[in-house]
Amino acid sequence: MSNLKTTMTGYASYRGREGHYSFLLHRITGLGTALFLIIHILDTSFVYFFPDLYQHAINLYRSTLFGIAEVGLVFCVFFHGVNGLRVAFFDLIAPRLWSVPKQRFSTKITLLITLLMWIPASAIMLYNMLYHNFGWFGG
Amino acid sequence: MQIKLKVFRYLPHTGKKPHYDTYEMEVDPNDRVLDVLEQVRADSDPSLGYRRSCAHGVCGSDAMRINGRNMLACKVLVKDLNSTQITVEPILGLKVLRDLIVDMEPFFDHFRSVMPYFVNDDPIPEDGKERLQSPAQRDRFDDTTKCILCAACTTSCPSFWANGKYVGPAAIVNAHRFIFDSRDTAAAERLEVLNEDSGVWRCRTAFNCTEACPRDIEITKAIAEVKQVIYSGKIE
Repeated sequence: MSNLKTTMTGYASYRGREGHYSFLLHRITGLGTALFLIIHILDTSFVYFFPDLYQHAINLYRSTLFGIAEVGLVFCVFFHGVNGLRVAFFDLIAPRLWSVPKQRFSTKITLLITLLMWIPASAIMLYNMLYHNFGWFGG
Repeated sequence: MQIKLKVFRYLPHTGKKPHYDTYEMEVDPNDRVLDVLEQVRADSDPSLGYRRSCAHGVCGSDAMRINGRNMLACKVLVKDLNSTQITVEPILGLKVLRDLIVDMEPFFDHFRSVMPYFVNDDPIPEDGKERLQSPAQRDRFDDTTKCILCAACTTSCPSFWANGKYVGPAAIVNAHRFIFDSRDTAAAERLEVLNEDSGVWRCRTAFNCTEACPRDIEITKAIAEVKQVIYSGKIE
């Protein structure tokens, strides 16, 4: 099997525990964040290279589809950041925490912290989207 | 109890493509998965290939993916799988030679690359006997002495799946065993190997290795300790 096929087979079919799924989510959210940053750098560069297109790009960002995608993006950024801090702390400062119970517990706490940050943020973002795009709440 | 056993099959000499065979069998809940495979060989298909030797979790021959997770077939009871459907596949990331048998040579190449043996060329102690070590010094690397080289850890590692050049958890565990041994003098050479592109920095802390280890070695912790030695320059 090629490395790519082996990797994808492992990602999809290996029945790991919390660490495996935390690793996968870290990868996916990392890709999501990187994709956004690339798009963001490109659209900002329009200000200099294609000023007319810049306004078009901003209008696209204000569309409902992008609004929903941004809510997902915020989850990606929060999870990737919080989980990255957890991994860095365990790995660089306190390797003794890499025990089965502490690792399982910490992955759940990471997800909880992410959700606690993400739910209020997405509520505000969705409110704004409904207000501006659909005229709800007197918009 | 009645179970449905699904086994990965690949017999290169037959020219058939890899596929799965299914066997419906009556087994005892206290049977181990290895017993079930032995039963298939005895009663249904003597061509089924897998490795086994001691059959008691010591030799490390029969690591395989059982219901999607790396385990030793001789250490897992059917009843502990909590399912009447059992899928058995070869470990991932090493070339399948036949059925559940993989080519372990790349795994052992990585193992050998970290000098997994005691090195001390200093003159022997004056009494001509042993190089003494305190119980605390011995305890420092006790956990990593338990490795049986079954490859369950290395082949559960996403970094190893993606890049077979990564030395993998088992090699690092065996390096750890000597790096932290107060009597050994070759830590610098081992750390040089582990500080390369294919060394410890490929560990992404997915933790599959620790979960898969049939000897309960705290592998991710051992890898993190080796990382600490590399960037701090101190063996503590």
